[in-house]
Amino acid sequence: MTRFKELDPILHSQLRLAVISLLVGTEMAEFTYIREQTGATAGNLSIQITKLKDAGYIEVTKKFRNNYPLTICSITKLGREKFTEYVKDLRDYLSPE
Amino acid sequence: MENEEKMMTGEESLKIITEMINKTKFDIRQGSFYLLFWGWLIFVCSMSEYLLRVFTDITHYYYVWFLIIPGVFVSMTYGFVTGRKARVRTYTGTLYMWIWIGFLFTATVLFIIQSKRMDLVAPYILLMAGFPTFISGFLIKFRPLIAGGICFWIIAIVIHFAGPLFYPLGTALSMLIGYLFPGYMLKNRVDHDKV
Repeated sequence: MTRFKELDPILHSQLRLAVISLLVGTEMAEFTYIREQTGATAGNLSIQITKLKDAGYIEVTKKFRNNYPLTICSITKLGREKFTEYVKDLRDYLSPE
Repeated sequence: MENEEKMMTGEESLKIITEMINKTKFDIRQGSFYLLFWGWLIFVCSMSEYLLRVFTDITHYYYVWFLIIPGVFVSMTYGFVTGRKARVRTYTGTLYMWIWIGFLFTATVLFIIQSKRMDLVAPYILLMAGFPTFISGFLIKFRPLIAGGICFWIIAIVIHFAGPLFYPLGTALSMLIGYLFPGYMLKNRVDHDKV
């Protein structure tokens, strides 16, 4: 029987996976941009971003632009490694030898 | 996105990854501004040079090319303003930007080296401009821009052998094929996708 490696629980969640997938091809993305692209609510997105940040997968920077607060997210080295690993495990899961 | 803890199948995960990665590929097509701006600017300069050369006695016809200097400032200001407003910055977008900045530096060095014979730089500029155009086409997977880059190289060879009188006409033609045609195609695609 083929044994599958368990998929990373931090990434194996709809919204968190969407956020990481969006950030993997970018140097940085604003919170509002991520919200638009994922179609998530601000509250839900905020919770998931905090989880990714706490796991060390992303970095969150707070700035101001024209006196408005700005939240900028970027993927970390660890986040990139975990994402690559997740895609590899997913590939093994979808097409086992 | 729905509830974050909803269980996903492998196929659903793959779909999300593909969908999200594709969303970050698009922004570079908005670079059509530069293709259109420089395409028109150089087209106007080239045609003005040709008309002044053929139909007037003005000897300093190449002065029209000084329009390039404010053009660089307009381009840089646009880049700075849009860059500050950008809500996302992709690796491809950054690479695209640096390729063109590299071309600007290379062209500047050529202008300095050839400052006494500016009337002869056209084939060299086309030769050099072909490279970032060609690479940009590959970066955004857009064939008309790849073809535009190749066209720059072909026209550079043709005008080199045809002689200086054909330099401005060749340059204008290069702008039509290499910048303006792909630029309008990209612009229409962006506008269409916005609808």
